[in-house]
Amino acid sequence: MTNGDYYQLLKLLAPEWTVVGTVLAILFADLQFWRNRSVAWRSAGAASILSLGFAAAAGLLIWKRAVTADLLGGTLVLSPTSQYVKLALLGLAIVTAWLCTEGEFTKHVGEFVALIALATAGMMFLVSTENLLMVFVALELVSLSLYVMTAFNKRSPRSAEAALKYFLFGGMAAAFTLFGFSFLYGLTGSIHLPTIAAKISWHAGDPLTLVAIVLVVAGFGFKIAAVPFHLWAPDAYEGAPAPAAAFIASGSKVASFFVLGKLLSVGLPGVGGSGAWKAFSPGWLAVVAILATASMIFGNLAALAQSSLRRLLAYSAIAHAGYALLAIIGGSQPALLYYAITYAVTSVGIFGVVAVVENRTGNEDIAGLAGLRERSFLLSVALSVFVLSLAGVPPLAGFFGKFYAFAAAAKLGSSLGYWWLVALALGASCVSLFYYLQVLKQVWVAPVPEGQGKVAGGWVVSILLALLALAVLVTGAAPELLIRFLK
Amino acid sequence: MTPLHGYLFVSALLFAVGLAGALTRRNAILVLVGVELMLNAANLNFLAFWRYGPNPEALTGVMFVLFAIAVAAAEAAVGLALVIAIYRHYRSSNVDEAATMKG
Amino acid sequence: MLAWTIYISFAAAAAMFLLKPDSRQGARVLALVAALAGLAVGLAGALQHAGGGLVTIQKYPWVPTVGAEYYLAADGISLTLVILTGLAAVVGILFSWNVELRTREFFAFYLALIGGVYGVFLSFDLLLLFVFYEIAIVPKYFLIAIWGSTRREYAAMKLALYSFIGSAMVLAGLVAAYVVSGAQTFNLVELAKYPFPASFQNWAFPLVFVGFAILAGLWPFHTWAPTGHSAAPTAASMLLAGVVMKLGAYGCLRVAMTLFPEGLATWRNAIAALAVVGIVYGALVSLTQRDFKFVIGYSSVSHMGFVLLGLMTLSTIGLSGAVLQMFSHGVIAGLLFGVVGRMVYDREHTRDLDELQGRRLSRTMPFAAVTFVVAGLASMGLPGFSGFVAELKVLIGAWQTFPKLAVIAGVGIVLGVAYTLRAVQKAFFSGDQEDVPGAVHGGHAHGESAITLPEKIGAVVLIATTVLIGLYPKLLLDWIVPSFASPLFDGLRKGGLL
Repeated sequence: MTNGDYYQLLKLLAPEWTVVGTVLAILFADLQFWRNRSVAWRSAGAASILSLGFAAAAGLLIWKRAVTADLLGGTLVLSPTSQYVKLALLGLAIVTAWLCTEGEFTKHVGEFVALIALATAGMMFLVSTENLLMVFVALELVSLSLYVMTAFNKRSPRSAEAALKYFLFGGMAAAFTLFGFSFLYGLTGSIHLPTIAAKISWHAGDPLTLVAIVLVVAGFGFKIAAVPFHLWAPDAYEGAPAPAAAFIASGSKVASFFVLGKLLSVGLPGVGGSGAWKAFSPGWLAVVAILATASMIFGNLAALAQSSLRRLLAYSAIAHAGYALLAIIGGSQPALLYYAITYAVTSVGIFGVVAVVENRTGNEDIAGLAGLRERSFLLSVALSVFVLSLAGVPPLAGFFGKFYAFAAAAKLGSSLGYWWLVALALGASCVSLFYYLQVLKQVWVAPVPEGQGKVAGGWVVSILLALLALAVLVTGAAPELLIRFLK
Repeated sequence: MTPLHGYLFVSALLFAVGLAGALTRRNAILVLVGVELMLNAANLNFLAFWRYGPNPEALTGVMFVLFAIAVAAAEAAVGLALVIAIYRHYRSSNVDEAATMKG
Repeated sequence: MLAWTIYISFAAAAAMFLLKPDSRQGARVLALVAALAGLAVGLAGALQHAGGGLVTIQKYPWVPTVGAEYYLAADGISLTLVILTGLAAVVGILFSWNVELRTREFFAFYLALIGGVYGVFLSFDLLLLFVFYEIAIVPKYFLIAIWGSTRREYAAMKLALYSFIGSAMVLAGLVAAYVVSGAQTFNLVELAKYPFPASFQNWAFPLVFVGFAILAGLWPFHTWAPTGHSAAPTAASMLLAGVVMKLGAYGCLRVAMTLFPEGLATWRNAIAALAVVGIVYGALVSLTQRDFKFVIGYSSVSHMGFVLLGLMTLSTIGLSGAVLQMFSHGVIAGLLFGVVGRMVYDREHTRDLDELQGRRLSRTMPFAAVTFVVAGLASMGLPGFSGFVAELKVLIGAWQTFPKLAVIAGVGIVLGVAYTLRAVQKAFFSGDQEDVPGAVHGGHAHGESAITLPEKIGAVVLIATTVLIGLYPKLLLDWIVPSFASPLFDGLRKGGLL
């Protein structure tokens, strides 16, 4: 490995270096210059530095968007699609950072925003690799940052409890993943996904292969909150500070779905087995189909009973993980990425509204949204757009994401073998309309409670929310605008 | 029973013990110990497959283990910090005590 | 040009929010102008295209990845229904002139619903049709949940869920058709040419048909309709019964029957039987209702049964009768709900027929009484009104293919006379001979006891329409009948059905 190779590596990783530099810049500025400023000032300052740094990284990504590279045995694999996904991750992180300006949950804002940036760096590495070691290390970087972010509200016991549960569960999941990776390495002698793909098909019937698949899928199932690895999600969504919950719900999901999809389709194509109706055979298709079924059913049923808005969002996230898994089953990366990215944008938007409402009214329940139409027209419209997108109502992004994922799953196999899964997904969507309409009912139908004044977020947050809502509408009405970047 | 099988058996046992500990223990630190056991079982797997696999010259297995150990250490650090956070609120590191969120 | 019906409606809906929050007259005027513009564009476009076959309005690539296009087109059937929508929109707004609560939001949701409906009638790309179909669901929910009456939140949720389930079934069928055909397109004209295997059609057809028919009020999936119609505010009921139920029937005809002719052949008798059950059941239940609006709601189920029966006859006379009945019932239902909801309920604050019985409404609101009598006669199918021509054609078509069912349907017509006369008599023409003191009109604190001008205009427009088509049905039939000769219905012809 000559020095020239490392220099090329440096150039290709310029966006990631910029992000890491931003981490240091935020910490430095916060420690050195802003010790005596108010928390609100410091969070705005930290968010600004992050925005500038990430804008620079985004610029580098756009400048080099046509790059393709495959270095160091798959440790760094770049393609235009991965660059665009990184752009989306940067955007989500910027919005999350600005959400920190809504309300004061910690004095250590510099560290919190720096953690957001660190997690983003981890996600960027996660989507640019086809090497198991890199996947593991990047995954852990993301996870550890998120655990700490969840615990950041030191005044709230729920925050600490949520973080502990998230961490313990996540640690187990990481161990499962590592154990699964060790078997993949053992069976194929390589940690490079294409090499694994070439050699694993010799072991197609081996029980050890199935064990490896189940362990790996279990580990990633935790990250995307699929049943039965979802137990951390409701508590984490409820206890974490709003920006942390927003980032868990958005950025980490995008990266995790991307990597899971890549792992299964690039790394394990020969051992898919089948989950088709009356043609069941062991393999990851079957495992993922089971996960998807359980997630859709459980997520929607549990969401029906919720009165807390955040827990409802958590269970809806579980259900959406199920829908997105259909895209993985269908083997369509564009469908998966479209779904994940639009879902992430919607999630970050909803948590933005939640952050503003909780900050101004202190109420976390769905009933706390009552009469929002009078108290903030912008928030009402934005929330309606996000919620209807989650429900899958056209012409919003959520509809097309579901359509694309369901069509991909329907196309797989001969003669509509996965019809049962698509039918289940459609039925689950219908059930979900009920609880989403309950949320909108509070906003638009319920009478305005006495003595409640106007609710308005900071102007940056309001602009960002409006932009996000517009993005959801535009990518839903004209999906091609987004899809052509993801092919 | 080849040496490889022996090592795999031990690592499977370690994993099982770790999992059992993680699932049944009430003290958060002991759950963390269980997680660490599971991670080390995976490390043992990597080393066994590396040593008795077809390509022991490529240091892939060892490299993975080194990184995994470092990551596990970082995870333990974060985990113990979280346990301290819980302790500050609940005066106990018992996972059953810190269970206010339901449903 | 016809596409502007859609754009004007949505643009006006969005523009509503530029008005001041408490401006009522502004909202009403904006809505009326938008609806009139839509009607004018619809009429102009229809007169331009009349007699021709399928005329493309706009066609752009929309989502090349899946092969969906933004494809708007119209044939005679679409044009008939577009005009119906325009009429119902204008008259609905006239009948809602007195809405005081959150007026601009009311008209915003109303116009959004209208825009979605126009979109469905003009789409010839299946994905686009589906998108417009679903867009219409959300405004319906809010219209009922916010401005409705009896059990409005329950009724709104029931309607939304039933519609959503129906559309989910349709989507399942469409995705299946898309995958099986392998054609990478959602263009209806293209897909209609594809020979789907018979075994596939045998389950795809009922899936898509029932999905649409839920919204059309096919028995036994009709239960959302009476609840929804009576809970909805007047204008929404007029739209729901008048136009939205036709969305379902239109979908049955345009999508299910065109794509899957062999499946249709298999399920035809069953559906015809269900349609006739709906006719008789709707009529019988209507006969026993105490709530005036429920009477009309169930009568809508009964009349829609005629539409579905006509569709199953698969003869030109029966099919054109079905489409004509869609138009006719749309107008008549608008009249009926207008009288019951706006003229009677807003003033008497009760819809209970037994309570209205004592109030001698024929004396206190003669205009309403006359309107309702006319509407009732039209609904019964009296010659001279549009309902007669439509139902006659359906019955003739039915007699040719299902003679026994045609007889039962005829019984349904007789029952229709019965429930209509009962409602007319109880609501308007009964009561003591002594002069009823003014105190009985408890709800006149608003001081509006006279029928207002917007109501009168709306009622006259609808009466004129039903009389016009009743006396001169050729106006519409000249558009409807040639549509069945178009290549779209080749599949039905090849199967020897049409």
